[in-house]
Amino acid sequence: MNGTAFRWKAAVRKTGAVAQITLRQQLAYKADFVFRSLFLLLILFVFVQLWSTAYDGEGSEVVGGFTLKQIVWYLVFTEALTMAGPPLCARIEEEVKNGDIAVRLTRPFSYLAYHYASYLSEALFRFVIHLGVGSAIAWPFVGAPSFGFGWLGLAVLSIGALTVDFLLKAVVALCAFWVEEVRGLDFVLQKLQFTVGGMLLPIDLMPEWLQRVCAWLPFQAVLYFPARTAVNSEGANLAAQLGVQLAWTALLGVLVTEVYRRGVKKLHVNGG
Amino acid sequence: MIALHTRALSKTFKVKRKQAGLAGSFRALMRPEWETKEAVKRIDLTVEAGETVAFLGPNGAGKSTTIKMLTGIMHPTAGEAKVLGFVPWKERNALAYRIGTVFGQKSQLWYHLPPVDTFDLISRIYELTRGDYLTRKRDLVDRFEIGPYMNTPVRKLSLGERMRCEIAASMLHRPRLLFLDEPTIGLDAVVKQRIRELIRERNRTEGTTVFLTSHDAGDVEQLCSRAVVIHHGGILLDEPVEKLKREVLNRKTIWLTLPEGADPLELRGAEGAEVTEKNGRRYRVSVDLKRTGIEQVLRLLIGRIRIEDVSVEDPPLEEIIQHLYRMRKPEEVTT
Repeated sequence: MNGTAFRWKAAVRKTGAVAQITLRQQLAYKADFVFRSLFLLLILFVFVQLWSTAYDGEGSEVVGGFTLKQIVWYLVFTEALTMAGPPLCARIEEEVKNGDIAVRLTRPFSYLAYHYASYLSEALFRFVIHLGVGSAIAWPFVGAPSFGFGWLGLAVLSIGALTVDFLLKAVVALCAFWVEEVRGLDFVLQKLQFTVGGMLLPIDLMPEWLQRVCAWLPFQAVLYFPARTAVNSEGANLAAQLGVQLAWTALLGVLVTEVYRRGVKKLHVNGG
Repeated sequence: MIALHTRALSKTFKVKRKQAGLAGSFRALMRPEWETKEAVKRIDLTVEAGETVAFLGPNGAGKSTTIKMLTGIMHPTAGEAKVLGFVPWKERNALAYRIGTVFGQKSQLWYHLPPVDTFDLISRIYELTRGDYLTRKRDLVDRFEIGPYMNTPVRKLSLGERMRCEIAASMLHRPRLLFLDEPTIGLDAVVKQRIRELIRERNRTEGTTVFLTSHDAGDVEQLCSRAVVIHHGGILLDEPVEKLKREVLNRKTIWLTLPEGADPLELRGAEGAEVTEKNGRRYRVSVDLKRTGIEQVLRLLIGRIRIEDVSVEDPPLEEIIQHLYRMRKPEEVTT
């Protein structure tokens, strides 16, 4: 038992060390941050204009249960989360192609845990920055994000959201162990996130049959749950959403582990 | 004690064959043709603890594939291997604590951060206690003379400075066996020499077993006590380097650049030296070390003719291997 506890403690320390160094490396990418932030400002500005026109045309303050303020902040949260996730598929694909994976695999630390630690650290850091940038647009146009407990929901659900997001991307990324080229699959995954994941439009505003389909897919757990809960914490069942995230984490976790276990046997580490 | 042992270790790949041109690409898409490539063929090898072994061969001979199987990152198609008592591909994690790896063309240092950050990370990954890590780091920083670079972002370091940091980092956890895949590639002569000395010192003081692949005959000559040459995936030769030096590493090349109007005929007649190539004013003189020494030949030539530039090189390893290959009958090569 002591041995197991010791191993877990060591694994947590290693995860923390990878998260810390990833964060330090992030601080070196200043130009990347500026460009991303400018792009985020631009798209949020376009969304604010679009939704303002839609609400004006509708002549109603509430559409599908969302006020204009809620919908704009919903988009800030989904965009901030989407753009926070590092390009895991491209990274693993590159590691396999140029053989850098050799350096990772010869370390006494799980390859998946390494990438998870690095992913979460980078994504959380970017998420906070993007929230700041998004606020610069949303706040002046639709007012302060006075969502009370919604912020707590956002904080709690974002960890689960990024975990499910990591696992979804990892399933696709690990296909690089067989095919080396996974950008196409990554593209499909991204677009599913944009649509049935509720990035551009809250799932509540979709046709009922599509809402039923979305309820059985993992994508809602990534963007819809945290953003929806943030803007309307009273109407959300936090425990149920956490339960769904946990279930998807367990299911996808098993899948990712199995794909990795099989893939690493097949892997051809390139390069001399 | 045995550090590593392999029996009939083999690796085969399936490689897609493609015809040239667009039509060929379409054909490969519809009806792919596969070809089996034997990268490593039934390698039997035993390395004792504390040995320094050079694992040599031309590009595509199977050196890196063998190292990847021995470090557990690639699974063999057939055969067995034990490294420090572990089956590498089955017990990769346990083995990882006991071995060190340096892939000369891949970096383990974080590009935008100073090396000290990667050292810190490695100390956590290998579960070193803080006190042990700091003592060990101090020792390695002193010996490798990398103190001035430890706080400079890796991207600002020269290749030589970076490689010293890479090798020091790979020794932080006191590996019992060090796999070095082309550790001196792309480095200048002075840095190569220093790196060889440092590796040799670790072998001497800590008994670290060294398993090295290289294209550089100098690495073999100065660092290793035993050479294993593989060609087309099989072992061609396994002998002490001293013997190899006597038999094969017995030639050096002098490159001379003569000034305009110099008479190249003056280069003739030096005992054990002959001009083997001419390129404009540049001449290649091959020296047979069994018959004469480099110093003697240079002294003689400098006395006879004005020289603009001079450099001395080991023969390329490819040439040596070709020579070995010609010396042995095909049936002697392990297949």
